[in-house]
Amino acid sequence: MKLSRTGYGVLALATSSALLLAGCASGGGDGGGSTGGAITVGTTEVVTSLDPAGAYDNGSFGVMTNIYPFLLNNPVGSSDVEPDIAESAEFTEPTKYTVKLKEGLTFANGNELTSSDVKFTFDRQIAIADENGPSSLLANLDSVEAVDDTTVVFTLKEGNDQTFPQVLSSPVGPIVDEEVFPADALASDADIVAGKPFAGQYSLESFDKGNLAAYKAFDGYQGLWGAAKTPEVNVKYFADESNLSQAIETKAVDVAFRSLSATDIEKFEGMDGLNVVKGPGGEIRYIVFNFNVQPYGASTAEADPAKALAVRQAAADLIDRDKISEQVFKGTYTPLYSYVPDGLTGANESLKGLYGNGDGGPDSERAAKRLADAGVQTPVVLNLQYAGERYGAASSEEYAQIKAQLEADGLFTVNLQSTEWGQFTKDRVADMYPAHQLGWFPDYSDADNYLTPFFLEGGFLVNHYNNEEVNSLIRQQLVTPDADERAALIGQIQDLVAQDLSTLPMLQGAQVAVAVDGVDGVTLDPSFKFRFGTLTK
Amino acid sequence: MTLDIAAAIPATVSKSRSGGGLGRYILWRALLIIPTVFILVTMVFVLMRTIGDPITASVGDRLPPAQLAERIHAAGYDRPILVQYFEYLGQVFTGNFGTTLSDNRPVLEVLTTFGAATLELAFFTLIVAFVVGIPLGMLAAYYRDRGPDATLRVFAIFTYATPVFFSGLLLKLIFGIWLGWLPVSGRASIATELKIQLLPKPSGFYLIDAIRLGSLEAIGDVLVHAILPALTLGLMTAGIFLRLVRMNMIGTLGQEYVDSGRSRGVSEYCLVTKHAYRPALIPIITVIGLQIALLLGGAVLTESTFEWKGLGFQLAYYLSARDFVAVQGIVALLAVIVALSNFIVDILAALIDPRVRY
Repeated sequence: MKLSRTGYGVLALATSSALLLAGCASGGGDGGGSTGGAITVGTTEVVTSLDPAGAYDNGSFGVMTNIYPFLLNNPVGSSDVEPDIAESAEFTEPTKYTVKLKEGLTFANGNELTSSDVKFTFDRQIAIADENGPSSLLANLDSVEAVDDTTVVFTLKEGNDQTFPQVLSSPVGPIVDEEVFPADALASDADIVAGKPFAGQYSLESFDKGNLAAYKAFDGYQGLWGAAKTPEVNVKYFADESNLSQAIETKAVDVAFRSLSATDIEKFEGMDGLNVVKGPGGEIRYIVFNFNVQPYGASTAEADPAKALAVRQAAADLIDRDKISEQVFKGTYTPLYSYVPDGLTGANESLKGLYGNGDGGPDSERAAKRLADAGVQTPVVLNLQYAGERYGAASSEEYAQIKAQLEADGLFTVNLQSTEWGQFTKDRVADMYPAHQLGWFPDYSDADNYLTPFFLEGGFLVNHYNNEEVNSLIRQQLVTPDADERAALIGQIQDLVAQDLSTLPMLQGAQVAVAVDGVDGVTLDPSFKFRFGTLTK
Repeated sequence: MTLDIAAAIPATVSKSRSGGGLGRYILWRALLIIPTVFILVTMVFVLMRTIGDPITASVGDRLPPAQLAERIHAAGYDRPILVQYFEYLGQVFTGNFGTTLSDNRPVLEVLTTFGAATLELAFFTLIVAFVVGIPLGMLAAYYRDRGPDATLRVFAIFTYATPVFFSGLLLKLIFGIWLGWLPVSGRASIATELKIQLLPKPSGFYLIDAIRLGSLEAIGDVLVHAILPALTLGLMTAGIFLRLVRMNMIGTLGQEYVDSGRSRGVSEYCLVTKHAYRPALIPIITVIGLQIALLLGGAVLTESTFEWKGLGFQLAYYLSARDFVAVQGIVALLAVIVALSNFIVDILAALIDPRVRY
């Protein structure tokens, strides 16, 4: 039959063409491909802007960390800060923080990097105050003065602010070139790449937003991290973690960092040719109790502070974080027993001894006794709200586990509900939720970032918790220069809040990267910064 | 997703009742574009404001209500919706689509950058749709009510009724993961993309840019990356074409002039491929207009599934970020594309099909 033969011929031709193309092309079975000696990092992070005044998110800061210079920065392996492109940095008066720059600093475009650029950087942040930007971190900054080419003096509103050095290493801290960036407006990504105002370990050679970035080591970098070990790094941006997972599995990328699913990470741990690297993470997941509308809360018909406290404490007794960590998150989130996560100076495990079996596990008898002693009728009905859209698909499984754990011995009846994020943010501050999910990623790696925003005068939680002793200790630690003394104060704050249970800390996110065999130097430390410069291949 | 093909054809014919010359018909059809786009843009404007604002989406769990309200006020999102709406319309009429809220990009740049990727996908998709749909439709008509016809009809229903995100994942699983033959995401490999980035003024159409590179490897790489997304979206359209061509071919094969040709000894092959084939294709022109809308809708899911970074992919991202400005800009452009393509198709149909009177 003539027609059939032609049809089959067309089909055969189409199939062979496809196979030929597959043979011609360099990369099969992946979205990437080898790029010679360069290291290719895959990520699902989103970059908002390359302009430090216009971005306050992990994806953008991940780029800035590697291309812009900072006055202070975290040495590899530490959450504390040290001078980076600065020669020295110290409080010369309670409200004066003086930074001396190294001599002969330049940007990748050849422009000199002087104190004038530093003053320009911070004045610009405050002048622009972009809604997506980090200028709010400079709330305590009054003015900046360039004394000479290498000396800058920051004048603070409140003296002895011990978080200020950390602020200089945070997303508000990248120093920009005053000859490239406008003083009162954001610069476009294209203008930034073209202007090469980079003086970090790397210079950004090309940037296709949301798709691909190409970095080249900057040999003029004189900072804390030293010369980059790999001359070229490419970053491929994926929108979907399953595509990132496929890319590392097929070795289309050399390193996959943030975010892979817990299931994929578990799979890669046993796979030849791939190495899973883990480090402490700054992200925390927790439950907020609203002191007004929780069972026996201040604005309920049966208001009783003692019973309300017993309810919160009984909930803390019943939670099995290990189980959630293992079963839901496959170890990519680890149990969190206090307010400051493990790895940061001052962190402790204040909840461990106070609740459950004393070793982190649940104890239903202790919970039952606590409720009975306080005269609380069981089961306690608790409405618990979560926002899976914001905190990931695993939230539904996580909160199903929490519900099951609270209800296991009949002490609680939990009404679990998920709400769309826009509505959730309105409801949570309108006393609509007796208890609800929240998460946090730090602005900088200092314990205070887990205390002041949450508990000082009620903080952003707006859950009607306000403890004067806690407020006083928070203010005290902020201005205590002695590191040991400050750490002790931070410990006391955690102990006090652990008794009150304004929030119930649940889990701490681990940083996880997967690297192919032959790639070394993946460093995930409590600074929460991913440095390209330590990678080797 | 289904399409009422039978209903699609008379729709064009019915427009012929208005009377007047071709010029008046074209003018009338052109004027209809304005309210179509206007209504869609207005609907999107209102809907976007019912799902929250970008500031709350971004920092709703970091700031106290007072600071949050301060930021929302500074951005002007707490002003009456009518004020915001007229301000937006004013900007649009002056050609200013604004700057995206979530990643600070001029909307026009977003439209041109990602629009090129979507157009390239549409191009590959239509190739698949034509290459698969038309010959198979002819084959089905030729074997009317026999085994091959039944099989092809089931195939057609299967392809256009299967959601693209499902067929996309299925193709990825089979050809990307199990067989490892084809790439599962992206528009090209990293090496090719880096080369394209270094071109002076890259066009955004990777195939054109790869040809400019003069590298067979790059061209092959781009084409290989296009296979699965184009198949996913193209097969859906091909199913519709298949059924349409079959239906029209059957009608044409029953015409007297075909019988006459047959009686004069013209071969069946010639009758099908030369005499009956061309008249049967006319309705496809009408359906292509409708397919553009379907194709752009499917592109959102297809692009997301395959990380094909086009307008659909970006639209999904901007929606999750509640980026009013970006979503409005993209939807306005999509509305214009759909309205214009329907306009062109209507004009072509009026010119080609003698049954259409104006």
